[in-house]
Amino acid sequence: MSAMVTLDRLSKNFGAERAVRDVSLSVAQGEFVTLLGPSGCGKTTTLRCIAGLEHPDAGEIRIGRDVVAAPEQGIYLAPEHRNIGMVFQSYAVWPHMTVFDNVAYGLRVRRVRGADIKTRTRRALELVGLEHLAGRYATKLSGGQRQRVALARAIVYEPRVILFDEPLSNLDAKLREQMRVELVRLQQEVGITSVYVTHDQTEALVMSDRVVVMDKGVIQQIGDPHDIYARPRNAFVANFIGATNLLEGVLRGRNGDICDVEIALGESHAPVRIKALGGNVVAGDQRMIVSVRPEDLSIHLQAPDGDGGNVFEGEVIDTVYLGNFLECNVRVGTQEIGVQLDHYMQLRPQQKVFVAFEPDRGLCLTE
Amino acid sequence: MTATNAAAYVEVQGLVKWFGADRAVDDVSFNVSKGNFVTLLGPSGCGKTTTLMSIAGLHSIDAGQIRVGGMIYTAPKNGIFMPPEKRDIGMVFQSYAIWPHMTVAQNVAYPLEIRGMPQPEIDSRVADVLRLVGLAEMAAKLATQLSGGQQQRAALARAIVSRPRLLLFDEPLSNLDLKLREQMRVELKRIQNEVGITSIYVTHDQAEALVMSDEIIVMSKGRIQQRGTPHEIYARPVNAYVSNFIGVANLLKGRIVAVNGGGRGKIEIAQNGKQLQFPCLIAAGIRAGDEAVLSVRPENVQARRDNGDGRCLEGEVLQAIFLGNCVDCRVRWGDFEWKVLTHPRGRLSKGDKVYLHLDPEHTLAVQP
Amino acid sequence: MSTQTLTNETLQAPAASRWRSLVTQESVATVVVSLIVAAAVILPLLVLIVSSFRVLDPGGFDTTWGLDNYRTLYTDRVIPKAFVNTLIVCAGSTLIATFFGVALAWVNARTNCPGRGRMEPFNLVPFFLSPFVGAIAWHNLAGGKVGLINSWGRDFLGMQGNLINVDNLYGVIWVTGLFFAPLVYLFVIGSLRRMDPSLEDSARTTGAGLVRTAMTVTLPLVAPGILSGAIIVFVTTAGEFGVPFKLSAPYGWQTLTTQIFSKAVGDDANIYLGAAMSMALGVITVLLIWIQQRYIAPRSFTTVTGKGFRPNVIDLGGWKWVAFAFNLGFILVAVVLPILCLFIVSLHPVWQSRIILHDLTLHNYVRTLFFWAPDHIAAATNGIYNSFILAFAGATIAMILSLVVSYMIHRTKGFGARLLDFLCVVPVGFPGIVIAMGVLVTYIKTPIYATLWILLLGYITRFFPYGQRNVSSVMLAISEELDQSSRMAGASWFTTLRRITIPLLKPGIFAGWVLLFIIFLRELSISIILYSSGTETLSVGVYYLTNYENDTLTAALSVTQTVMLLACVYIFRRIAGREALTV
Repeated sequence: MSAMVTLDRLSKNFGAERAVRDVSLSVAQGEFVTLLGPSGCGKTTTLRCIAGLEHPDAGEIRIGRDVVAAPEQGIYLAPEHRNIGMVFQSYAVWPHMTVFDNVAYGLRVRRVRGADIKTRTRRALELVGLEHLAGRYATKLSGGQRQRVALARAIVYEPRVILFDEPLSNLDAKLREQMRVELVRLQQEVGITSVYVTHDQTEALVMSDRVVVMDKGVIQQIGDPHDIYARPRNAFVANFIGATNLLEGVLRGRNGDICDVEIALGESHAPVRIKALGGNVVAGDQRMIVSVRPEDLSIHLQAPDGDGGNVFEGEVIDTVYLGNFLECNVRVGTQEIGVQLDHYMQLRPQQKVFVAFEPDRGLCLTE
Repeated sequence: MTATNAAAYVEVQGLVKWFGADRAVDDVSFNVSKGNFVTLLGPSGCGKTTTLMSIAGLHSIDAGQIRVGGMIYTAPKNGIFMPPEKRDIGMVFQSYAIWPHMTVAQNVAYPLEIRGMPQPEIDSRVADVLRLVGLAEMAAKLATQLSGGQQQRAALARAIVSRPRLLLFDEPLSNLDLKLREQMRVELKRIQNEVGITSIYVTHDQAEALVMSDEIIVMSKGRIQQRGTPHEIYARPVNAYVSNFIGVANLLKGRIVAVNGGGRGKIEIAQNGKQLQFPCLIAAGIRAGDEAVLSVRPENVQARRDNGDGRCLEGEVLQAIFLGNCVDCRVRWGDFEWKVLTHPRGRLSKGDKVYLHLDPEHTLAVQP
Repeated sequence: MSTQTLTNETLQAPAASRWRSLVTQESVATVVVSLIVAAAVILPLLVLIVSSFRVLDPGGFDTTWGLDNYRTLYTDRVIPKAFVNTLIVCAGSTLIATFFGVALAWVNARTNCPGRGRMEPFNLVPFFLSPFVGAIAWHNLAGGKVGLINSWGRDFLGMQGNLINVDNLYGVIWVTGLFFAPLVYLFVIGSLRRMDPSLEDSARTTGAGLVRTAMTVTLPLVAPGILSGAIIVFVTTAGEFGVPFKLSAPYGWQTLTTQIFSKAVGDDANIYLGAAMSMALGVITVLLIWIQQRYIAPRSFTTVTGKGFRPNVIDLGGWKWVAFAFNLGFILVAVVLPILCLFIVSLHPVWQSRIILHDLTLHNYVRTLFFWAPDHIAAATNGIYNSFILAFAGATIAMILSLVVSYMIHRTKGFGARLLDFLCVVPVGFPGIVIAMGVLVTYIKTPIYATLWILLLGYITRFFPYGQRNVSSVMLAISEELDQSSRMAGASWFTTLRRITIPLLKPGIFAGWVLLFIIFLRELSISIILYSSGTETLSVGVYYLTNYENDTLTAALSVTQTVMLLACVYIFRRIAGREALTV
């Protein structure tokens, strides 16, 4: 598959702040790639560099075969010449135009013939399910409808790439979930290369072919959603994608893929030896972190029998009823461990319980 | 069925409020026992905020009566309307409503000053309350220097400092971002527990209601749909509206064919040209022969690779959305699409053939 | 059923509490203020309408009812021409003001023009000065015979006649246009500065270039603001008295305002005909303001989202120096040159259209400023004193009214609120001179006529909506929940007003007060109708000097007024920060 968007050691500074540092990335034709990270991680700046709305300071950006920005060679192509589509967080639907005029704008700018404008605009509006609102002014639309208009406007002229800048973050929770699914369906239908920016990890997991996790202007990990969730490369990624328990410990030995880790639990509690997947730790006596997801932990009222598996003894702090599952916080020494229970289990605060997990569910990580 | 009982502390009876031609609150009655935390839950426009504002006295009502601790607050029939400042209620607003021209301590001291409390006592009470909400270090800061979460803590401190009879919350967390919201839920509940003030909380966020409340009142179109503990509301919704509003549910129209003792029975569904019968729990007020809706939560549908007892529904995975701690599957069964929540270890993927099993203990027949 | 007894107890006092629930602090204040505002606004306009149908008999003593006044409007020799002249002046100055206003706003908000932050306050200066003084200055600068530029042209370039001449309708258009450009500027700058940049970004990514984006997205989005500003300029120009009085009327170009003035004041005054002419002027302006309020203001797009945006700034390249020269040029012709010229003139004992260095004296200032000077001119010294009293008292009373009125419009919803809202728009629709005519015919036979009170009444009626708008905008920005939480904390309505609402509104109240103070300090078209000997104001003093004395004395008092206004603006900006002093 050929690369549609290529970033090569892209860097951008705002004054003394290095917003994007040496970011390299290649997005294949038709792929849906998400840049994910907390606010200020450089994801939006990266996107705006691809769009041409920011001038990068170093590196190279290619769209298709064209170099659109390469500051070292003095190359910079204005956004209107890059043939891209972009959807903004604030929708940016023009309030002084009807829905039809908003969508047709890109075609008119490209001097498409009148009849074609009509059919292509209709088709784009049908695709987003807004054909019945074509004559309506944008100010009379709901947030979800505005975002659909913005989407139709961005795809109508069949750009090479479509860029999304947190398009769903202004919508309410129910609508957001619905739009996620719809957006993915649409993207697959149109088959357009997409770069999507969000700080919402669920959105990234649900929608993307590949996720690029960024922090402090640097790419932390690139991988498919399952990969990122199941095999985070470091504690930042593990904690940012989904909830996880991070247990600090020291590596005592390694047998193939399985590590032997000693978890310190404060002075009043004896350290516990557990086994977990090796991950990216190497040497003995190394300080590291074991990450275990709440849904991979189980709670037992009696010590589970077996060959001394990964078991912590602790007491219940509280349980939180979340409808489809129960979240239970357990204190083990100085550590607080969150466990997700699928059943309606009755637990009281201060109750003694045992928390256990399979060795292949824990992952050793460096900080 | 007017609800009056001796333990009731807040009594709302037959509350009606019109906005023009719109009946915003339509004959709402409920009570709250002393010290309880009750949530009014519903979508926007369901009348929950109007009900709260009526209790606060921030607007008048057209009919009904509101009584707190035996005192009548509002009763239009008798021409009684106690102005809000006389009601001795603490209130926390969606926009925090922290006065920006005062420091945190001044904000919190305000209700006590109004009540003419001597200064030394004000100082000690303010210090106590700020410690309780975790803002002791912020006392001298201007309200504008606080983050959203801190402003909401300050608003809470201001509402509880005078130890009012009643606390009202109007969607206090909806302006906070997701992570902070989840954290504040737990904390707000902890503080309410500690001070033990009777509370009425308004929200449209069902997760918030489930986590915080002793009791939930689900409202829609100005009327009460159901009231009960969070577990009752989630596990035993009385109708399709509640079952769909609280969490997600698979809903199938059908007819009750048998009612046995103990709230159990059978519902018949016409699907794919076949009549299928499912054993289920039956909600109150439904009789044999009634139209009903079968409601099953996605996490209560088990997706299996084999047709175990031969009574499973055979379907095909349409979509498997990986959510991290679970996988949200859509399974096609004839022209119906099941929502099924499975563990990622199940490794279901698009196109897989699966067998769905419904547990009679978690399968409900509810009113349409 | 244990609650039954309690119910009976509380039922004891329903009758009393029914009364008490009606007579609250809130409702009493509401009724009182509504009545005051209604009386102040409606009464003069009603009387004005009624008076316009009263016809003065030829003897000038008795009146009968009839339409003769209106017939005179089109049979008269001068009035129809004056009507046409007014429309020409309005259209011309609206064009000039809109051009300068929009261009300057765009340069300052959206380009990398050098020094734009420094120049912005100076772009706004004409807004705070008196257009009448501007006209006097331009007359001295480029008047037909006396203009400094023209005499230099004759002396140094050996020209015959005039280089330029502002003593005509074009001069009126030019000076009014310059002075009202900041009005358009203020209407446009907000939306240019706070527009969501992604509205333009999305046009760029969709494929539109810089120019196309500006024409199809930026400009249409600002259009309602431009149109609103233009209409306000048109209406304000229609009611402007000083500029045509100084520049065109003496040379044969009358306008409606100069005609109303000569009919209402003077030896053969016919206030009933004046009333009819005021009606004619009022109909035009009310219609336009109605269009603006009804159709244009609601269309202004809410392009402003909550976030603080950095607007897109366009790199002009070499053109930025052109923008810089343009901006500087505006400041030069609208501020620096007129004031400088007035100052030069004011230093001469007699103005002979050329600078005579050895004659320079400050004696003109002594005669206009010091009431103890033996040859002081009472109209000038009284004017300074009266204007400060009127400005201080007027601004204070108007802001108290504004506060209560805004509170009622935005915090109590109902019929009364909508009525008040309407009442606050009405005075904006009428030029000062029309309101003044209404006040004159209403109170001419009462004891307040010929006192400062009638001026105060005219000022407040015409201008309190300006203050009200300042308070309202702040009030809209602060959540009602801030008030409500005070009530919930146990504070009464009045305590809440005193401890929460007013402190929160302080910036708005202060800004409104300052704006009114400055407007009152330079007010001419109301004062000119309502003053009498002893109650002259600053601008009336200038009018008196320009009419009965010489150019140099006039220039001295004009400079004095200008310096006072600028000093006020400067001091208030220092106290209140940059946000103060906008419409």
